Amino acid sequence: MMADKKRKSKDGMAQSGKKDREFRNKKRKNLSSNKKNKNEDASEKRRRRGPRLPNALRRELDVFNRNVEGETSDFDEGIASDDAVGNDVYEYEEGIAEEESKKNRRFDTVENYQYELPEDFKDSDVASDEGEDDEDEDNKDDNENGNEGRHTRMLEEITGLPSDAFGGRKKKDIIITEAYPESEYNPSSDILDGDGRISIQDLLDPLHGKSGFSKLRKNLQRMNKKSVPTLAPLPKSEQERLERKAAYEHSKKDITKWEPLVKRNREAPTLYFDEDVDLGFSTIGAIASEFEPRTEFEKKIASLINQNEVVEAHKKDGARLLELNKISVEEVMDRQERLAKMRSLLFRHEMKAKRVKKIKSKTYHRLLKKERKKTAEAALQMDPEAAKEHAMKQEFKRAEERMTLKHKNSSRWAKRILERGLQVQDEATREAFGEQLSRHAALTRKINSVKESSSSDDSSDDYDSDDMLASPDEDAKSKLLMKAKEKTLKVLEGDEELPNSGVLSLPFMVRGLKKRKEAADEEAKLALEEYESSLKQLEDQSASGSCEGGVSSGRRVFGVPKKVVNETRKKVKSDNYYGNSDSEDDVETQEDIVIENNQNDKSLREADIDPSLLREEFEISHDSVFKSFQDAEDPEMKTTYEVAFLASDSWKKMRGSSDATKQTEASNHVRKSEITTRPMKHDQSFEENNDDCDTDSDGEMVDGILSSDPKSTYELPSQAELIQRAFAGDDVQEDFDKDKEAVLDEENPEPEKPVLLPGWGQWTHIQKKKGLPSWMLAEHDMAKKKRIESLKKRKDAHLSNVIISEKLDRKAEKLHTKTLPYPYTSKEVFEQSIRMPIGPEFNPATAIGALNRPEVVKKAGVIIKPIQYEDMNVRERGAETHKHNGQRQRKAKDKNQSMKKMAAKV
Amino acid sequence: MGVKEANVDRINVIAAAELVKGVSEEEEMKVQKYLRGEAADLGALQDKKLKGQLAVREELYGKSAQAAAKAEKWLMPSEGGYLEVEGIEKTWRIRQEAIAGEVDILSSRKQFDIVLPELGPYTLDLSLSGRYMVAAGRKGHLALVDMKNMDLIKEFQVRETVRDVVFLHNQKLFAAAQKKYVYMYSDNGTELHCLKDLIDVCKNVELIKNGDFQNPEEHGAAARLQFLNKHFLLTSINKLGQLHFQDITTGEMVGNFRTGLGRSDAMEVNPFNNVTAVGHSGGTVSMWKPTSAAPLVKMLCHQGPVTALAFHSNGHLMATAGMERKIKLWDLRKFEVLQTLPGHAKTMNFSQKGLLATATGSYVQILGDFSGSQEYTRYMGHSMAKGYQIRKLLFRPYEDVLAIGHSMGWSSILIPGSGEPNFDTWVANPFETRKQRNEKEVRSLLDKLPPETIMLDPTKIGSVRPTRKKEQPTKQEREAEKEAAVEGAKSTSIKKKTKGRSKSSKVAKKKQEAVAKAKKPFLEQQAKDAEMSQKKRKRNEVENQLPKSLQRFARKVPTT
Repeated sequence: MMADKKRKSKDGMAQSGKKDREFRNKKRKNLSSNKKNKNEDASEKRRRRGPRLPNALRRELDVFNRNVEGETSDFDEGIASDDAVGNDVYEYEEGIAEEESKKNRRFDTVENYQYELPEDFKDSDVASDEGEDDEDEDNKDDNENGNEGRHTRMLEEITGLPSDAFGGRKKKDIIITEAYPESEYNPSSDILDGDGRISIQDLLDPLHGKSGFSKLRKNLQRMNKKSVPTLAPLPKSEQERLERKAAYEHSKKDITKWEPLVKRNREAPTLYFDEDVDLGFSTIGAIASEFEPRTEFEKKIASLINQNEVVEAHKKDGARLLELNKISVEEVMDRQERLAKMRSLLFRHEMKAKRVKKIKSKTYHRLLKKERKKTAEAALQMDPEAAKEHAMKQEFKRAEERMTLKHKNSSRWAKRILERGLQVQDEATREAFGEQLSRHAALTRKINSVKESSSSDDSSDDYDSDDMLASPDEDAKSKLLMKAKEKTLKVLEGDEELPNSGVLSLPFMVRGLKKRKEAADEEAKLALEEYESSLKQLEDQSASGSCEGGVSSGRRVFGVPKKVVNETRKKVKSDNYYGNSDSEDDVETQEDIVIENNQNDKSLREADIDPSLLREEFEISHDSVFKSFQDAEDPEMKTTYEVAFLASDSWKKMRGSSDATKQTEASNHVRKSEITTRPMKHDQSFEENNDDCDTDSDGEMVDGILSSDPKSTYELPSQAELIQRAFAGDDVQEDFDKDKEAVLDEENPEPEKPVLLPGWGQWTHIQKKKGLPSWMLAEHDMAKKKRIESLKKRKDAHLSNVIISEKLDRKAEKLHTKTLPYPYTSKEVFEQSIRMPIGPEFNPATAIGALNRPEVVKKAGVIIKPIQYEDMNVRERGAETHKHNGQRQRKAKDKNQSMKKMAAKV
Repeated sequence: MGVKEANVDRINVIAAAELVKGVSEEEEMKVQKYLRGEAADLGALQDKKLKGQLAVREELYGKSAQAAAKAEKWLMPSEGGYLEVEGIEKTWRIRQEAIAGEVDILSSRKQFDIVLPELGPYTLDLSLSGRYMVAAGRKGHLALVDMKNMDLIKEFQVRETVRDVVFLHNQKLFAAAQKKYVYMYSDNGTELHCLKDLIDVCKNVELIKNGDFQNPEEHGAAARLQFLNKHFLLTSINKLGQLHFQDITTGEMVGNFRTGLGRSDAMEVNPFNNVTAVGHSGGTVSMWKPTSAAPLVKMLCHQGPVTALAFHSNGHLMATAGMERKIKLWDLRKFEVLQTLPGHAKTMNFSQKGLLATATGSYVQILGDFSGSQEYTRYMGHSMAKGYQIRKLLFRPYEDVLAIGHSMGWSSILIPGSGEPNFDTWVANPFETRKQRNEKEVRSLLDKLPPETIMLDPTKIGSVRPTRKKEQPTKQEREAEKEAAVEGAKSTSIKKKTKGRSKSSKVAKKKQEAVAKAKKPFLEQQAKDAEMSQKKRKRNEVENQLPKSLQRFARKVPTT
């Protein structure tokens, strides 16, 4: 029963401990696995835990848990899970029981008489790594990891000793019951058992309570602490960022204190700077009297001026000053000489420069250039700074070239040449073309001279690396062979004159030598033959490669190895062309192809083949490419084909390409046109319908506006004489109406009636029947509608007897603002803001000053001092805003002007 | 106990508050007057800075208005009065004799008749302050009178027809429209100018341009004269219906327009905006400003010829009289008739306080608006001796006096409540000294307004310029223009160039490019138009989708 219980508790502990440990391991992987003081660990752990239950409650819980364990110990699994659940509920691990933590020795230590499992006992629930973790306290070693565990286990197995002997870890039990306090006279059970070693803790325990104990313990702790490895410093950029962040936070806090000040200044209608102005110096003399020498020069001058003699001379009269001015003859001579020397030197230098400038000799300049280059190089070597600069320059050039692709035949000249075909061009042009490309290559090639490691070269551009890998190999081979051949030849030719004296001159020795030589010769001949044959082979190979390249030039785009062969051939032929083909961008195959064409031309010219023929062939090959593209099956090939297809797409020379697409396009077109035509017809008919009804209504509208007139707003007095007097002959109303209509027509002219040219747009009699085309009618209708709209907008639209001119007076335009002045966004607000006159004629004298005060009041010559911080409480601010002319505010404003500016900048 | 006391206190406070309220309401009215309109709605503003600035300004305006309202009590001490009657008495039954018995001696001396039967009918003009009067007899009698001390300053005969007379900026100068020309005289009768030369000039230039070169003698015969004292413009209309605006400081003829509406006998200036209104024989009234050849407003007021015109001093009210026996009052803000009254009027005039005097034959009628609802009713009447033909009515400013020019001389009657009781010495000072007058002359010359400031709504000066309506060319015109441009591009000769740059293909390409370039702006314009119309259509659709009641809000953009 007891054992079971123990096991359970251990299981539970182990599980929770495992969890915990895993978590920690994750967290601190960097930490070395140094052993730590357990107490410290425990304390740290306790610190780490978040909120926790009060001690009393926890104790109760502990008791309760134990009780539960005791009752239901029959069911292993159930309890285990129960335990786990219990742990889970209170998210934090169970705290150390007070008696276990041995905090203040309130509880007696008790010997552990419980049954202990063997160390190598494997629990079904617990992984073997953590199996030996037998402590019942839950303070676990943070730094214990698998390595150590494995190590101890290994030792265990070898020696058969318990793991504690190796791990040096002290076993601690929950319940230690001892009759007497532990001391050197009363060793603990562990020591008596012989399965534990004496730890420092053990030694320390008996000292507890004695003088110097705390000091000792502290020392120990410090030592332990020291062993904790310091974390690796963060990367510098990270560090700086953090620093900046902190600094920013700080400065932000610092700046915000200015906010109320700045706000007040911004809101103030007027800022004053004439506060107790003391302009200070009124005269130049006053300013001069205040002068204090600051710089060295000024001090020197001041010392000279303030010399006693000079001052005295000043005080007395000018005659003495003249005396002081005297300079000795030698001094003057010296100075003159110096000047003359300088002048002559300058003159000579000038003459030389002139002469050099005049020289037209090319060789001279070449030499000069060379020299300059040399010196520059020397400087590069001598001066690391200069070298760096040079490298930077080169790098910049390269980057520029890579960016602009200036020499990549993208110029207008190059494009034109390409458009016309390179074959048509003369030799020089082609040469220039190639030159450009080589220039590009030279510029874009990575410069190794700058950097020590040339290994990074191949990573950047694939072509380059490919070439580098492939071609030099071949080259080196042949070279090697040649060298070997030469050497052997030398050996063959070289007549070793036989020594005439000494041991070697002896006849038998001579014979022996001859024999040996013959043998060597034979060997050499054999080797020579071998070399020759291999060389031939190599040459054949390259030749065949070139041949292939020449024939299948069009296809060369897709296969890299072929290209490589080609390039090697080129290299053999002319180094000039080597650079051409290591282009960087794969997409611009156009150029590549051109280059290839170029190469082909060269090779073919040698073979006496007409370039035009080749051109044809080239095109044919393209065709074949497309064909092959259709029945390509190999996935790898497919990808290459796709690339090729893309390239050719960009090339826009898809001659004889897919007819099908064209057809589909055409059909699309047809469909589209159908679609577009149908709605148009529909629209037309619809509009026609609309037009009809619209025109009718329009006519009415026009009438309504123009002729509807409340003629009988009042009854004319029915006196015959009045009517007579009212000039019965002329209808005043009608006249006015006509007048108004004329004015309206003038300002909004009526649209012209649609007219058709006879025969225009008429195909059959059908259209004649229909009359004018609908679009014309629609247009006319639109114009009419527009006119009516504009008439409706007139001020006199609803006043039949009034004409208000809408003409704008050009002369009066200057009285209005062209646009809304800046801060205003709406016309109404602006107009309302200018409604009040602010002049002295319209306002009482008390208000004029305030109404016309400028934004800044400042006397001329007042120096605006930088803003000074001033603590502003909310209450104070409120009070201050009320008293506008308050002295304090003035002061503040005065001070804060520059701050305002600063804030504006921010 | 404490409660009771508190109650008493509260009652007291309430009473005091009511008192204050009564006073403050009155003052509030005054303040409103001086605030000159509503402040902008600052709450709707989004710009905080602007809002703050405007709030500060508004506060200042408020302070200024309050100060002005407070000062009004001291600056405008007197209040105007009216004739008040009891029971069944009517104000219009009260005769001048009755009034004369009631008023003080000074005022009673303002009732008089000057009988000048020979050179009649007389027309009058009063200086701005109302102190001086110039009278012109039809037959050539010109007289300058100081009305305050009834002193004849100068009297002389010009021996030819005088149709109208008008004071210029002060009493030292006046202009008379005589038989042929307009003459200017000083206060001691010296003829300073005859405005024929300038009119000749305008004859030579303007009339020939206009194509109606006519007899120069008739041309200068102005029927009516007016003077715009803020702009220093002398306005005249002649028998032919030609309107002249002449700047008297520079002598420049600012405007010379044909009204084209025939002879006119009525011309008045709106004191609010200085727009000149002319009544025509066709029953129309046209309003003019010196800088536009077309009338600002043309309105058909009467079926018969317009005989008289008058403007209220606030500029919103106009009275017209037609031959068809109608007097109409117009609201000039809406150009609508406010009131139609029966009766003829040969001459009309509004007093400073808004009384309207009309005269026909020998009878003067004064109408007043006492209900405050623009409803003019009969206030007073006065009939002259039989046979007198009244030619001109004029209320004297700052006096309760109506001056009447008639065929037998001129008269003056008392109309209580007609004049403004408080005068502003900065505006018009009846007790002006010579020095003050001279200073004022200089000041007014410095403050002279340019003629273009005359417009229907002068408060719009300084506001945002109204958008000019674009004159859109018709489609045909546009097409023609485009064609012309294309032709032009095609026909340009291309320079002969060397080194293969003049190859036929090159030339063709260049031409093509030039044509495309010429077409481009037109196509762009077309595209823009199409886009605009589409947008408009879309907007209309949106509008139509809304229910009827909400449609009027559809396009309104919220003001910020």
